Amino acid sequence: MDWNLVLGQATVNGLIIGLLYLLMAVGFTLVFGVMRMVNFAHGEFYMLGAFAAYFCTAHLGLPFLVAVVLSALGAIVVGSAVEWLVLKPFRKDELNGMIATIGLAMIVQNLALIAFGPNPASMPSVAEGTSMLFGIAVPNSRLYVVVFAGVVLLMLYVFLRYSRAGRALRAVVEDAETAAMQGIRARIYYPLGFGIGVGLAAVAGALMAPLFSVSPFIGATPLLKAFMVVILGGLGSIPGAAIAGLSLGLLESYSSLYLSSSTSDMLIFVLVIVAMIAFPRGLIGKGEA
Amino acid sequence: MNSDGVVTLPPAAAPAAASRPRWIAAAMLPCAALAAWPWFAGQFVLHLAILACLNVLIVNGLAIIDRSGQLSFGHSAPVAIGAYAALLLGSALGLGTVSATLAALAVVALVALALGWVILRLRGVYFVLVTFSFAELVRLVLLDFSDLTGGASGIAGIPPLSLLGLSFDTRERFYGLALVIAGLSVLMMLRIFNRPLGRAMTAVAANPALAESVGLSVLRLQLVAYVIGSVMAGLGGVLTARYIGFVSPESFATSASVAFITMLVIGGRGSLYGPVAGALVLTPLPELFRGAVQTQHIFYGAALILILRFLPGGIASVLQRLRQARRPA
Repeated sequence: MDWNLVLGQATVNGLIIGLLYLLMAVGFTLVFGVMRMVNFAHGEFYMLGAFAAYFCTAHLGLPFLVAVVLSALGAIVVGSAVEWLVLKPFRKDELNGMIATIGLAMIVQNLALIAFGPNPASMPSVAEGTSMLFGIAVPNSRLYVVVFAGVVLLMLYVFLRYSRAGRALRAVVEDAETAAMQGIRARIYYPLGFGIGVGLAAVAGALMAPLFSVSPFIGATPLLKAFMVVILGGLGSIPGAAIAGLSLGLLESYSSLYLSSSTSDMLIFVLVIVAMIAFPRGLIGKGEA
Repeated sequence: MNSDGVVTLPPAAAPAAASRPRWIAAAMLPCAALAAWPWFAGQFVLHLAILACLNVLIVNGLAIIDRSGQLSFGHSAPVAIGAYAALLLGSALGLGTVSATLAALAVVALVALALGWVILRLRGVYFVLVTFSFAELVRLVLLDFSDLTGGASGIAGIPPLSLLGLSFDTRERFYGLALVIAGLSVLMMLRIFNRPLGRAMTAVAANPALAESVGLSVLRLQLVAYVIGSVMAGLGGVLTARYIGFVSPESFATSASVAFITMLVIGGRGSLYGPVAGALVLTPLPELFRGAVQTQHIFYGAALILILRFLPGGIASVLQRLRQARRPA
């Protein structure tokens, strides 16, 4: 067995999974940063995004790219509406807001169960064949996902960095009161922040739908991973979430070479618990304690 | 207490004090009737009543932790540890069911003490997330060490609890035991929170910095609450395993912790009767939605949000309001 090849393969797989974690965690941490709300419904928006992509491609025959864009836009609209209609009273109320999102997650998941049934559906692959990258075989469908995720993250970066709305959003994350004093209307940015946060979860779901199966239960694992990433990266820190997301993906992929997956899951949990106790503001980014 | 430090009874307090026992007596009667009802209402009601009593015990455990200012999102962990420790210690050391229960509670207390000493330094959502992670870790360990725990298929054929030669193998008998234990847990909550210890816990929850500044140790008080609450949950786990006769790691998934939080919140987080109200209302609820689990969960979710929004004190606060309305101001 060529050790370099195996390591390379693990790196590629780790990066793909890491990108998924990254998208989930950046959205999760954005919502926490804006609203101080641990969003337990985040995984359900991942699930909704995956279903939206599945329906757009398999039933409506739309191209994958359009499906991803539509599911992201849909999630932003639905997410903003949900924030405004349901979560508004719980802004900045950490514990009650968290419990409210647990209720929201129960509602969304079970509505999806009623609507789509419990059986997993599989989506057609977005691309055929494999490409060779640095001597490593990568299925084109995965390559597609990596490129899309990269584009989405780049767009998010540009939006947050340079656009007026993005800068206002960052200001709200930084300090909502001072932002309000500068004339930034929190009224708009709370729903928008939540919408963009869950929109990223929906993009992650839509991108991963062709690689994994689609069912109402698929949100649980990405949610769990988003928790871990955000804890390691520091709650509320976007760069922390980005670095920790990729690191966790790579770590899982490498550890799966040596350990059984349940053992590596347990070790990662232990790592997360230790990290949270030793570095409550996050290992990498500077979260808000 | 009066602000000048002298305890004087205002004249109006005398009739109020006299009417208090009368009020309690009036409330006792329907409560006793409700508690006795399952014995005459058939096996199915009895089954639900047993589960409700066990939930009262477990949610009381969650409530005491919550009232010291920390919300545990991993309350299924002590339940699972209690259930499995009793079975594994019982078979490994050849203990009887009662001594195995006591040994399991000791294990739960030790784990809670060690874990709590470390994680209670975290506050707010960080504590929530670390307890959540710990519960997941416990579940993974139970799944993975399958030679000991039976893995995903769990442990079946658990013998019933037997105490002094009396085996609690029928629902009628077990309900008696569960009722007594649930009642004791409520009495214990009443006693704790009418005493300086409980007051100190409430103070720590309300304002940790202020509590610390008047000489209350936040960590120590929360640790006491965490250990007591976990042991109550552990006892609930032992009894549930003995009653159902089967345990598997899936009984202690996140949904179990969510169910306990739901009961606590809907029942009322601030009130001593909240856990009782939550467990009594929510345990039989699945039967209303039989065959429609999804509808039930949607109802749970909606109830959680609506109660948080419009009735933050839960069901218990309605009862309290009724009582205050009845009593002349």
